[in-house]
Amino acid sequence: MRRVVVTGLGPVSNVGTGVADFGASVRAGRSGVSPITSFDASGFPHANAGEVRDFAPKELVERLDPAEWGRSSLFAAAAARLAVADAGLDPAELARAEAGSVMGTTSGESQIIERLTEEEVAGGWESLSPHLPRQVPASRLAYAVNRELGLTGEAMTLATACSAGNYAIGYAYDLVRSGAADYMVAGGADSVLRWAHAGFYRLGAVAKHVSSPFDRDRSGIITAEGGAALVLETLEGARARGARVYAEVLGYGLNCDADHMVSPHPEGIAECMRRAHANAGITPDDVDYICAHGTGTPANDLAEATAVLDVFGGNPPPISSVKSMLGHTMGASSAFGAIASLIGMRDGFLPPTTNFANHDPALGGIDPVPNEARPARVRIVQNNGFAFGGNNAITVFGKVS
Amino acid sequence: MNGTRAGVPTLAITGWSAVSPIGTGADGFTEAVREGRGGGADVSGMFDAPLPSDRAHAIPGFRASDHLGRKGTRHLDRSTALALVATKLALEATDADVAADGRVGVVLGTTAGSVRTTSEFSRDTLVQERPYLVNPVMFPSATINCPAGRSAIWHGLRGVNATVAGGQMSGLNVLRYGAHLIAGGHSDVLLAGAVEEFSPHMAWGHRALTHGYDVPLGEGSAVFVVEDAERVRAQGRLPEAEVLASAFGSGAPEDTARTLESAVTRALRLAGVDADGVWGVATGEHGIAGIDTAEDEGVRAALGGGPVRVRVKPLVGECNSASGPFQLAALLARYRSDPGLHGRVSVLTSVSADGAAGAAVVRGRHMPGPTATTAPAGEGSP
Amino acid sequence: MSQTDTALIDELREIVADVLEVEPEEITETGLFAEEHEADSLQAIEVLARIEKNLRVAVPQSELPNMGSLEGVHRVVSQYKGASA
Repeated sequence: MRRVVVTGLGPVSNVGTGVADFGASVRAGRSGVSPITSFDASGFPHANAGEVRDFAPKELVERLDPAEWGRSSLFAAAAARLAVADAGLDPAELARAEAGSVMGTTSGESQIIERLTEEEVAGGWESLSPHLPRQVPASRLAYAVNRELGLTGEAMTLATACSAGNYAIGYAYDLVRSGAADYMVAGGADSVLRWAHAGFYRLGAVAKHVSSPFDRDRSGIITAEGGAALVLETLEGARARGARVYAEVLGYGLNCDADHMVSPHPEGIAECMRRAHANAGITPDDVDYICAHGTGTPANDLAEATAVLDVFGGNPPPISSVKSMLGHTMGASSAFGAIASLIGMRDGFLPPTTNFANHDPALGGIDPVPNEARPARVRIVQNNGFAFGGNNAITVFGKVS
Repeated sequence: MNGTRAGVPTLAITGWSAVSPIGTGADGFTEAVREGRGGGADVSGMFDAPLPSDRAHAIPGFRASDHLGRKGTRHLDRSTALALVATKLALEATDADVAADGRVGVVLGTTAGSVRTTSEFSRDTLVQERPYLVNPVMFPSATINCPAGRSAIWHGLRGVNATVAGGQMSGLNVLRYGAHLIAGGHSDVLLAGAVEEFSPHMAWGHRALTHGYDVPLGEGSAVFVVEDAERVRAQGRLPEAEVLASAFGSGAPEDTARTLESAVTRALRLAGVDADGVWGVATGEHGIAGIDTAEDEGVRAALGGGPVRVRVKPLVGECNSASGPFQLAALLARYRSDPGLHGRVSVLTSVSADGAAGAAVVRGRHMPGPTATTAPAGEGSP
Repeated sequence: MSQTDTALIDELREIVADVLEVEPEEITETGLFAEEHEADSLQAIEVLARIEKNLRVAVPQSELPNMGSLEGVHRVVSQYKGASA
């Protein structure tokens, strides 16, 4: 089996597009949260989201015609284009190589379904725009990446909700490791949706202003969007072409709570951590930093902290949530977690959990890296992702010396 | 083009099920395929909303409670209900150790989840007095991974749980992903398949997508129990079939024939099989000229005109993500029905309107069973 | 108990029974939804949502812990009924 490394990162986010902007924002603890503008949110008591307001697909993609693709596909393609540039790969050479993409998502092109629904409500079934149904399939996210980059290999979209980015990284790692592919672009993308905002609000899971993960008074998520992509290739290949290596993918763990569709489950999460460690060939002691799922709901953060304390003991490594800055980017979120972690590994810092005021005694000895990025040498990162359906996925990255 | 290579196991299929317009369970489906009995039903009474046509290859008589009992089934979306029944029947059909805690998982394909539930949830944000007066119980169903997640809860499966949004390519996606998950030690047994529901939303969307062609829309779910074939043999068990290799490529939609040709060629090479050893090919041809032509050209270029063409869509309708699984089910039905096919190799092909194409190489065993017309030609690995 | 109260209780019983997928007569006044009918948090929110939709009574989610039985639901709804009307 071949060793697999990450050589390129492509964030398209509400706190910055590209590694430089995104990295600077995460280090500075900037917020990407603002009042919702992508739909009429006047009827919602809580009406903030993490929209990527300055997303300009025309400036980021070269081949795709933005009119033919939904917003999530364009996020995916733009992020992939950035990641390939960051990896220093010649796009023409990449297109000739054994290369493909795996993208994760929660809701795919649900914005298109919302538009069709608006048309049906306004004008009946006969009035649906004939060009829109073609844009509904969530498979289009990975196809957008392959089309944008001219890739000829696998194109697969994993719709495992809010941990989908980690699932995607895991499968891309498998393909490169086994030799089925030499390069894979992996990540996730989602768009802000009126129905998802309504659903989370109805569950009492949306914060009024910002989300404050691990805080005693945390009150929920901020729905958000974006695209995040990583370039995976073999260590051998990366060395041969003199590429900068962010980190090695050491392994990943997947399991299912099989308990409840929306409530997180500490035992299931702990088991997923153990699986990830075993698959990566590490022990809890090896982990220097945990990039949390950290949604900021009372239930998630309690379940996640309980699992961390169970697996790591009373003095776990620092664990912070970039969702405090980005909001919850759904299927992209664990790919954003990976990107933030790897930038931190390269530049020597831990991303902070912003909006933090009071320690929650129920979370034991959790160190959430409150409010300020912290200088640190990070060798091994555990990147958590959990989801509806009890779909847990954790990736593990290690510095290559 | 990505094909499975070193370190990825041959998948054994050790049981399967179908919930389809032409029959339920592997036996019911096999019988319909053997008789060439197509679906097609009056769907005018299925929904309050109007439909573009009174007839479709839907399953109007499908009731989850007939298979699962009443409790817990009232608020299920149709996709989830179909998946729960298909996974239940698949678990009942296999001799795999499905009680092994944490080692049994679910990988289901879809196009975009339950589009009807997502749309109705979205509709409530527009038509209710306040936009948040949505139905919270349906929120998980509006999210794409609900059928897989609920299947795990219903059957207590704490292994890997994944949803692949692969549309037409879903059958190949779940087989390829499943093989890698098993190779990586993430799971021992996977319920791999896909589910697609019929609804006014799908019907009106389908009409727009197939404008000018008469292609009936279908629905249903097919699920295969897959394991590492070597492990199955080591346990002294006989799988019904093996997926020897697969390949997946993507390109510009106008190059689909060439993309498919190289996928079939690569899959055969990885399987170590010659094109002239292939008895049949189950295609996704469905009656839309452009894309059918591409698939036909790709198949002929790779395999010649010799292999029997197994077309299941004329029977089950256009089932989108469930199409590939129904094609595979149709191949297995042929192995069950014809002892002459025992141990011989067939190919499954899929193409998507977005330029993806792929193939899997299958070797099946003639199974004794209620639908077999004659005794098996002999035991042993196919 | 007044007639309006009985009517309200019956209406609440119907809502709870439908959400919990049981027959209305299985819902007693004091039986705990979670223990007797395996009710979960999502169903509890659904009961609250239907009360807001059907009866036009807005009950905050902070009241959910007090709504574990039909008796509790009735008490909470009666309390908020005046406020939203």
